[in-house]
Amino acid sequence: MANEEPDMAQKLALLRAQYAQNFGARVDELEAHRQDLNADEAAVRGDALKQIRNAAHKLAGSGATFGFPEVTSCARELEQVCVLAIENGAKDDPGLASRLGALCGRLREAATDQEEGVTGADVEGERPLVPQMHDSFRQKILFIMEYDGPTAMQILLEMDHFGFDARIIDHPAKLLDDLNDNGAVDVIVTGLKFDGDEEVALKVLAELRKNVAHRDLPVVVHTELDSFVTRLGAVRVGVKAYMVKPVDMADLVDELDRVTQRREDEPYRVLVVDDDESLASHTELVLQGAGMETRITTDAMNIFEVLDDFSPELILLDLYMPGCDGQEIAAVIRQREEYAGIPIVFLSGEADKSKQLSAMEMGGDDFLTKPIHASHLISSVRIRVARFRELRSFMVRDGMTGLFNHTTTKQLLDNEIARVQRSGGELALVSLDIDHFKSVNDSYGHAVGDRVIKSLARLLRQRLRSADIIGRMGGEEFAAILPESGLEEAARVFEQIREAFSQIVFHNNGTKFNVTISCGVAAFADHGTATLLSDAADKALYTAKHGGRNQVVKAD
Amino acid sequence: MSEAVLSKILYVEDDLDIQVVAQMALETVGGYTLAVCSSGQEAIEKAPDFEPDMILLDVMMPQMDGPETFSRLRAIEQLQATPVVFMTAKVMPSDVERYKKLGALDVIAKPFDPMTLATRILQIWNDHHGE
Repeated sequence: MANEEPDMAQKLALLRAQYAQNFGARVDELEAHRQDLNADEAAVRGDALKQIRNAAHKLAGSGATFGFPEVTSCARELEQVCVLAIENGAKDDPGLASRLGALCGRLREAATDQEEGVTGADVEGERPLVPQMHDSFRQKILFIMEYDGPTAMQILLEMDHFGFDARIIDHPAKLLDDLNDNGAVDVIVTGLKFDGDEEVALKVLAELRKNVAHRDLPVVVHTELDSFVTRLGAVRVGVKAYMVKPVDMADLVDELDRVTQRREDEPYRVLVVDDDESLASHTELVLQGAGMETRITTDAMNIFEVLDDFSPELILLDLYMPGCDGQEIAAVIRQREEYAGIPIVFLSGEADKSKQLSAMEMGGDDFLTKPIHASHLISSVRIRVARFRELRSFMVRDGMTGLFNHTTTKQLLDNEIARVQRSGGELALVSLDIDHFKSVNDSYGHAVGDRVIKSLARLLRQRLRSADIIGRMGGEEFAAILPESGLEEAARVFEQIREAFSQIVFHNNGTKFNVTISCGVAAFADHGTATLLSDAADKALYTAKHGGRNQVVKAD
Repeated sequence: MSEAVLSKILYVEDDLDIQVVAQMALETVGGYTLAVCSSGQEAIEKAPDFEPDMILLDVMMPQMDGPETFSRLRAIEQLQATPVVFMTAKVMPSDVERYKKLGALDVIAKPFDPMTLATRILQIWNDHHGE
């Protein structure tokens, strides 16, 4: 298929030719003022200099844009000479006219073709992919606004185990100042009654909403008051959740997670396939501006490598490319089972509807016509990735915890190992298991058991990086795949997780209890296949169980 | 994550050569909607109805130059917060500082690379809305 896209480089070449063609006339115009330089009146000479200066300034500003860097440098010199002469009071200088004449001669030459290529401006450097450290996870900052000291303290301690950075505000009057001092607060838990006054907290919250910076700050009410009027009052100041005491801390955590969710969403991953690098990098910047993660490939031939490495959630495909076109690429991608469902959106200058439709038949999900508005592009991508995530989650996620299921985790382990074998680096696998889980179920019932599992899932998600892969392998068994982590690093991180989990207090009908986990850690450097690595981690877990549980064991 | 999306740009430039190539760069690569003006006066007339997300302003123009156009645009109520980027062939750091002090978001040096102009502008926009 011929390249029917009126492409940027072609258009530029055309403009460049036009510019070169008209260039002689520009210099003529400029040179016409040169004879006035020999005039008797300083005013006339000064005026001529200004005219030449302005014309040269323009040419300096346009030359390299059209691919004539010589024009720019020559015109700049010309401009400089004029500026100096003007500053000197446009003195009668017999040599000036001829010097400018020589420069004009050089200028004329400058717009004739010597070299191809339009360059000049700074192109964005490649971003190094720095792996995020495990210790750099940002804790969510939680404000606890509560008049009762012991209650506040209890919430603070429990939320601390769940990984919140909690701070106590003992009176609503201090809220606004403390918010300003603390920077990015993620969520507020507040009581309603302070010093017998049931209105004061809501009034402060109403005040809070007037500030643009805090308009969307999630607030959860935690109170003994439970009337329609107070609930309505809470809704009116934008309260996201209303919980009546006594509140189970696990439920409170669920609510806090829910109301802060939007902020911790993983960025959408979009692959841009376009042979034109500037168009691709522009598309990339548009999407990054909307908070998405992007990867560009200008060479369709290595698409599978990029797909396996980046695992995009949407592919933006240029319809016309040298070598093979977008429709063919889409068809090839669709042949691979694991990519059968990935949204593919064509991006092209093709305005012919029937051609657009035939492209869709080959496996495209949508067709966007270039040039496309940034806002259209963003919303089109957002909608599709969101739907893709939802659909995929039924297949790859565990329904209760939202973690990856057994099959997916195994497959992701294979992918990660392939990646390490290809590009080097470290990889650790952790097998973990809740200690005596059967007795939790037997003593407190399955509902409580489920809550324990959910709490562990939450803690893992919270403490691990977004690049880490967490799976629920079945029942009370979990696994974590840690890219860019060695044995010691993984063991250290899971030691912290083990400790944090053992501190979480579970409640059931007035009884409190703690639950512990055992972990086995193995590194790919020591066990070179997926099976060997899994076996080593399982064996280490087994050792941990037999060594008394509640511990992290490293594989030999 | 910013919700603000750059869509409409008011572009003020008296040099027709540059006008054409910048317009192409911004429309074809950037996909922006452009209103092109050849003088400061025209910009002041067009801007209120066009409601640009960003204004791109050449510094050296006859009659009304960039800085003057800038302050006249700022006097229009709905344009008081619109980001303005200057374009100039003068690349003295002192000038850049002066324009920034005046309230310009950034300064783009001329000549520019038409293939990356749109990207450069989007970068400025993203940085501005980043924080």
